[in-house]
Amino acid sequence: MEFLRQLLTWIANNLFNQVAILIGLIVLVGTAIQRKRFEEVFAAAIRATLGVLILFIGIDVFVGGLLSFQTIVGSAFNLMPPKATKTLADFLGTHGGSIALIITIGFLIHVILVRLLPFLRYVYLTGHLMFWISVIVAAALIESFPRMGPTALVLWGSVIVAVYWSLQPLYIARAMRKVIGSDEWGYGHTSSAACYLAATLGGAVGSKDKHDTEKLKLPQRLAFFKDVNVSTAVIIGVIMLLAAAFADKTLLAEQAKKFSATVDPWVWAVLVGLRFAAGIAILLFGVRMFLAEIVPAFKGISDKLIPGSRPALDVPTVFPFAPTAVMVGFLASTVTFLILMLVFGAAGWFTLVPPMIMLFFPGGGAGVFGNAFGGWRGAMLGGVINGLFLAIGQATVWGMLSNTAPELATLGDPDWYILVWLIKLVTAPFAGP
Amino acid sequence: MAWVRGEPLRVLTVCGVGMGSSLILKMTAEKALAELGIPARVEHADLGSARGAGADVILAQGLHTSELTGTAPLVVPVTNFLDVAGLKETLSRRFREQGWLT
Repeated sequence: MEFLRQLLTWIANNLFNQVAILIGLIVLVGTAIQRKRFEEVFAAAIRATLGVLILFIGIDVFVGGLLSFQTIVGSAFNLMPPKATKTLADFLGTHGGSIALIITIGFLIHVILVRLLPFLRYVYLTGHLMFWISVIVAAALIESFPRMGPTALVLWGSVIVAVYWSLQPLYIARAMRKVIGSDEWGYGHTSSAACYLAATLGGAVGSKDKHDTEKLKLPQRLAFFKDVNVSTAVIIGVIMLLAAAFADKTLLAEQAKKFSATVDPWVWAVLVGLRFAAGIAILLFGVRMFLAEIVPAFKGISDKLIPGSRPALDVPTVFPFAPTAVMVGFLASTVTFLILMLVFGAAGWFTLVPPMIMLFFPGGGAGVFGNAFGGWRGAMLGGVINGLFLAIGQATVWGMLSNTAPELATLGDPDWYILVWLIKLVTAPFAGP
Repeated sequence: MAWVRGEPLRVLTVCGVGMGSSLILKMTAEKALAELGIPARVEHADLGSARGAGADVILAQGLHTSELTGTAPLVVPVTNFLDVAGLKETLSRRFREQGWLT
């Protein structure tokens, strides 16, 4: 018995608590049941494991840039940087294993739900958001119940994400049919709240026939913003330079010195923007690497269990239907967010960090949905709604997750914030120490 | 119809950050190429990495194809990421224009 107990403890500590190894094992099983050749199965598992390790390195670089940004921009507004007792990397280290299991078990529950309840129709296949939603749900649960054990966390987490993946494509399906003109695939993206509001309110501000964005001509110069690595580096770098001009000069010099004894603080400010963008690029590279192995396995499982089901897909699948609306939504989101950044800073509420990826993708998506119902006015409204969600969400959720993974607040889409708000609200009467 | 290129085709599917839709498009492209009987290796990437990837064919949505012109001999815009039949038709037409398929 003692040996068995030791063995189980060893497995829990070394396989289930090491997220990189656990993801590798999940991919190993997932590819093996697709009857791939041994060397393919093995290589897939190794690639997925490396992807998780690269993700961790990216988070380190990204969080370093994030902290510098919050310190300097905060100082320009005379604010303390937002407080955080834990970091995303800590949280993935302690709870990463549970998160990997939430994705896997959550997906299986989701597939069973869609199989048993045919009206649900859509199988959620946007892999990176399956990962992030599992992380954010786990963090919100641990914030409410710090002593929740791994079994309860995996169970509750899996059920919550499975319900979200089942309902999100469904409630937006009517609007989605109007956007893509068919029911061939559903919308599976955590910007759904902004898109739904843009579609619902779009018709009130304009009309698709009279104000179609695709009749507009936007300046070609804006095109470089479509590369999110470039736009992140540029926007964060420019704001750093502006903030450096207003920040406490001793603090600025101190921060720059931490990075290099010889670097000029102004050059350091630019480097922060570049490192921030580089960190996000590395982080995304890691996520891409393990998703490339997991998503085809998930698709294989759902194709086999629910033949003829429709996939719910990532936001860029709606972009071809109104590329100009994407740019209108993105620009409206960015302008809204930057205005709120000044307002929140001047009012002393919070040092907001512009999340360029979330301004581009959800902003673009809300633009396309808004355009389908209200032309460019709807697209612009969609962008503004997304900008509001991102600013208010970041400012409120940072504090709600400060004991787990506050940086998630700067990486979030509208639905992430809504899920955290809901979990907080529902668990408030039961939350323990 | 005969495939005249010797080595397998290097195909790259591209989207903004190279995670969601490019991966779905990769699965569609693999199916389309297999049904055409064309030997190919399909990978997916983001806009930035696509530039240095040295692919023979790049598949991406129209929003991005203008930035990608010149990064591969063939840059093909795709509207429907799930449409295997449509992609087969477009690809075989474009391959014939290139003289890769006779």
